[in-house]
Amino acid sequence: MAGDIVQITLLSLLVSGTSTLVSTLIAVPVGTYLGLREHGGLRLLRNILFTLYGLPPVLAGLLVLLVLSRGGPLGPLGLLYTPLGMIVAQVVIVTPIILGVTMSVVAATERRIKETAFVLGADRQQLSTTVLRESAAGVLTAVMVGFGRAISEVGAVFIVGGHLEGHTQVLTTTIITDVEQANYPHAVALGVVLLVIAGAVYFLLYRLQERTLP
Amino acid sequence: MTMALDLAGVRKRYGDRDVLQGIGLNVEPGEVFAIVGPSGAGKTTILRCVDFLARPEAGSIRYDGRTASRDLRELLALRRRIGMIDQNPLLFRGSVFYNVTYGLCARGVEGPDLRVRGFRALEAVGLLGLVDARASGLSAGEAQRVAFSRAIVSRPDLLLLDEFTANLDPANVNALEAAVRGYNRETGATVVLVTHNLFQAKRLARRVALLMDGEIVETAPTEKFFESPRDPRTKAFVRGEFAY
Amino acid sequence: MHFTFARRLLIVLVVIVVLAVSVAAVLSLFRSYVLMATTTSTRDTGLLDWLLPQFTADRGIEVRYTAVGTGQALEAGRRGDVDVVMVHAPSLEAQFMADGQGLCRNPIMYNTFVIVGSASDLAGIANATSATDAFLRIYDNRTRPGLAFESRADNSGTYTKELQLWAGTGINASAFTATSDPWYERTGQGMGSTLTIANQRDAYTLSDDGTWYAREGTLPFLRLLYSRADAVLRNQYSVIPVNPAAHPSVLVDKAVAFARWLVGERGQSLIANYTVNGHRIFTTDGAGAC
Repeated sequence: MAGDIVQITLLSLLVSGTSTLVSTLIAVPVGTYLGLREHGGLRLLRNILFTLYGLPPVLAGLLVLLVLSRGGPLGPLGLLYTPLGMIVAQVVIVTPIILGVTMSVVAATERRIKETAFVLGADRQQLSTTVLRESAAGVLTAVMVGFGRAISEVGAVFIVGGHLEGHTQVLTTTIITDVEQANYPHAVALGVVLLVIAGAVYFLLYRLQERTLP
Repeated sequence: MTMALDLAGVRKRYGDRDVLQGIGLNVEPGEVFAIVGPSGAGKTTILRCVDFLARPEAGSIRYDGRTASRDLRELLALRRRIGMIDQNPLLFRGSVFYNVTYGLCARGVEGPDLRVRGFRALEAVGLLGLVDARASGLSAGEAQRVAFSRAIVSRPDLLLLDEFTANLDPANVNALEAAVRGYNRETGATVVLVTHNLFQAKRLARRVALLMDGEIVETAPTEKFFESPRDPRTKAFVRGEFAY
Repeated sequence: MHFTFARRLLIVLVVIVVLAVSVAAVLSLFRSYVLMATTTSTRDTGLLDWLLPQFTADRGIEVRYTAVGTGQALEAGRRGDVDVVMVHAPSLEAQFMADGQGLCRNPIMYNTFVIVGSASDLAGIANATSATDAFLRIYDNRTRPGLAFESRADNSGTYTKELQLWAGTGINASAFTATSDPWYERTGQGMGSTLTIANQRDAYTLSDDGTWYAREGTLPFLRLLYSRADAVLRNQYSVIPVNPAAHPSVLVDKAVAFARWLVGERGQSLIANYTVNGHRIFTTDGAGAC
């Protein structure tokens, strides 16, 4: 039984860790770009993004299911009931969160930071890099929030992953089936593991964040 | 290297007020030119327009006789010939060295060249000992001196100073004024200095202009400006502020 | 230094992502195992976790299953997302076959529906003469304080059977509302969860005996009240490979091999000997159709 806890934990880390990283790669550059442009039309985009914060993971799971299903547009890829499919589903959920928080953080960056960089001769890209660097603490918060969502969600990974034994079982889905089967001690053990992992990741990111403070 | 700066008919509006009502200035290459006037008169606005932080509604600004190009690359090149410091320096997170060498790095300078020039700039303001210090832990005077060396390290042809010693004690004021003088003499760069401090204007500038109610009331060589100004407003201003 | 950190960070992140995605891809692509959709009730009997490794040992084919509601399991078959379905809802299966979604329907085994409830047995169903009679007694006593019935109210075989039993008494259970019939509670969940709720509420519920015996130890307030091998209480399981004519990508050969093994001598004897907490719950009636 201990062996399966290890396998389940590793898969949780693989799925949620990868999806958080992929979402970060997409969301931080886009969020920085959008956060720096002061455009009226962005208000609508911002509203949409903030609404997506509340996207229920089960709904995201359902949408991804329909897309990855054999009959769906990406069916031939055969990603349903696989870890890669689960990563896709979580990327859908986590990207808006990281994007939105990054955008807010960057937009809130003191105008003087942007002006100082500008006046010192930074071009557009250098200015973005500098703003991002000065907002690093906030961006790391975005990543932490995103990871938190990924590691703790159960709806999407259940629907898209199917909770196949030895293959797509993660901590959260196993806790659910344990509760269904009144396997409470096992469920609690998994819950503790989940908290420990989350705590460890947050601790690391927090230490990183400390180094980004002035 | 140096730059000539000419403003003509520059009008800038903020909200429902015309902060600058069609002003004109002619700054000769290599000279130290001071702009004085009451608070809120629009002095900062002039500098912001010159360094592309604000766009005037009307009028022209010429750099070495030419208006700024529309081409982004040429615009960037022009911007990089201009340096600006205001009274509240914002230092980036990291070390003093990181801050001082920012402009050089942006312009593609790297390696030993970057380091040498960074050290030299810090030396000019007497802060070489703080090169690895955290920028956030500096006193106001030290921060402003770092900001100054950060601005001049890339040898701008035009240096814009906006009340740059406003919050500092006399020792720091002295050090920075000496640095400005030194920079101007060494490189022949043009310096436009906005200040409250009439004494400072007297000490540093070759010519002075008075900005009041959005207009340039008078421009004159320093001695004449203070001893025998033409305009009654200048007379009143010069007298009234003597409390400094 | 000032601007290169961003590029370096980007490269590091991209490298890590590529590695991680590669690992995930290796785990995800080039599927060689059979994918089966079955029900939570089937899973809850524990049969599959014991039986499937035996099949793999015999035939060298791996079978992985996802356990969802009956409706969802058949839906997965209709989408072609699984190679074979194993459910216990004959009427829905007939529709599945009629729609050309299934290649061949193989009955494998059946267990029995039972009625469980609190030891107090307020409706006295322990003395009922038939399942229909038991339901009638529950209905007649519905206003007694403390009497409740938990219905799964999902698309499951168990729910379908429950409705059938109500209909046998002449009552339309679908018409019960929460306000007019507060004794009748719809959980919308699987058998395990519904039993847990019934245990908490001292309520009656219809369950398959497999799940009941598997969970009995965790349901201290429930008792097995009506348990007889009435034909109407038969819970018939079948295994249906998905029709490759409708979904060309399914691993039909392996799925058919699985179905044949289940109805063959080896599979059938294993199933017949399977016990849950000492109870032999399955009666085999395998009939190969593939």
